[in-house]
Amino acid sequence: MIGISFWRILRAALQNFFRNFWLSLATTVIMTLTLLIVLFLYFANIFGSAVLYTIEQKVDLSAVFTDDASEEQIQATAKSVLSRVDVQSVKVVSREDALTQFKERNADKPFIEESLKELEDNPLPASMFIVATAPEQYVQIAENLSSDRYQDVIAQVNFEQDSQDVIEKLINIISTVKSTALAVTILFAVLVVLIMFNTIRLAIYSFREEIDIMRLVGASRWFIRGPFVLESMLVAVSAIFLATLLVYPALRGVAPRLEQFFFAGLTAEAPFDMYAYAVSHWPTVLGLQILLAIGLAVFSSLIAIQRYLRQ
Amino acid sequence: MIQFQNVSKAYSREAAALHELTLEVPTGDFVSIVGQSGAGKSTLLKLISAEERPSAGSIVIDGWNITRIKKWQVPHLRRQIGVIFQDFKLLPKRRAYENVAFAMEVGGAPTRDIRETVPHIMKLVNLTERATAYPHELSGGEKQRVAIARALAYKPQILLADEPTGNLDALHSWDIVQLLIKINKLGTTVLMATHNDEIVNALKKRVVTLNKGKVVADKKGGTYKL
Repeated sequence: MIGISFWRILRAALQNFFRNFWLSLATTVIMTLTLLIVLFLYFANIFGSAVLYTIEQKVDLSAVFTDDASEEQIQATAKSVLSRVDVQSVKVVSREDALTQFKERNADKPFIEESLKELEDNPLPASMFIVATAPEQYVQIAENLSSDRYQDVIAQVNFEQDSQDVIEKLINIISTVKSTALAVTILFAVLVVLIMFNTIRLAIYSFREEIDIMRLVGASRWFIRGPFVLESMLVAVSAIFLATLLVYPALRGVAPRLEQFFFAGLTAEAPFDMYAYAVSHWPTVLGLQILLAIGLAVFSSLIAIQRYLRQ
Repeated sequence: MIQFQNVSKAYSREAAALHELTLEVPTGDFVSIVGQSGAGKSTLLKLISAEERPSAGSIVIDGWNITRIKKWQVPHLRRQIGVIFQDFKLLPKRRAYENVAFAMEVGGAPTRDIRETVPHIMKLVNLTERATAYPHELSGGEKQRVAIARALAYKPQILLADEPTGNLDALHSWDIVQLLIKINKLGTTVLMATHNDEIVNALKKRVVTLNKGKVVADKKGGTYKL
């Protein structure tokens, strides 16, 4: 009984979809546009985070220890700084390590090697490099390291304000993109709901005789609702198909340019590949679309048909 | 058995369609309901098929009190009641056969049952040869016979006919009434709201006369008298 009814409802839904082809197409296009905007928001968010992360790694907050600072003092200071909630990691470079690194960097400059031999002591100080949990924390950490508390241990704090400015600008841009895309998405979602209402109401109007007769001969409310709900789900599935068909090739074309523009010279590691990310995260991308498109379609069709059934 | 007990129905404060109406229709009865326009004939039939709810009183059908019937119970009720109208209410894009099958489809009848039952009903209403015609290719009488066939698809206990001959000439009208008599003889209770005095008088069946929402006459073998 349930199987037969489902098959008949599905058949009616397909008939409705194709009998109102232009209306169905218009709704599908609007639904596709909404999905594209949501996907843009999603990928912009992912990509922005990747760019931000890479830039964060480039931020240079370091502290140079005094020549008098003992190994114990250095380690205690590093531990104290690391215990802060806004500090993600602290890397200590001892005087010996600094000298080794300096020599490696200047291995092709013999006069530097000679100069170092002239000196009896290691002239390079110990230092530590700090990575914060969030970019806006750097100023605060730098100020703290410059305070009286560390004046006997830390000789100098190095922090490039330029990096901070770049980060702040980036945060502002990402936040603007997010809120704009969210507003546009909400606007399109409202449009889709309205258009779907109208599509379904027009469909109901053209099928009013059948609906009347359905009620007359004792069709259940679900048998009457079913075709309209399934029809809107069909619109949603078509929109998901179209959006996927457009998004992946677009990402494939744009990803290399984005990499070049945002990551060139910024990182030695392999840059973030948006297309590879989208391919490997396809269940999330698809799930997001299904949740939005099917949810929106079912919700709007149920409300529209409910209003009709009350009449 | 259909029982109306002090049933009132008011569409607004000023317009009372039925007023404390009490009526009993035993199973297998054939009742003609007559009265002037606005007397409450259609409202009475709509209350039986739960298209309308009574403002007061109670309605019981075969022991089932449908006065406060739940929405989800309405389809179950309607599958026990066949309804035909003056304007036939056929689906224009479906053939006669499909119009009848459609009623069974929406009720979830198995395809095999539909294939077996529909030709049988088409034969009963004498439309076997016109089964593949579209409604616009049928005469008024034939359209009404398709509507009756559809109403019979579920082998209903009760058949409600709201002005079934209103759009038909005398010959076709009589044809339809003969069919209703035949269905009644098979055990179905028939309630027919009509303005057709010739048919009511010729039938010599029970006649219930309504006036301003009240039963003013109820006679077996009665005649059309307003």
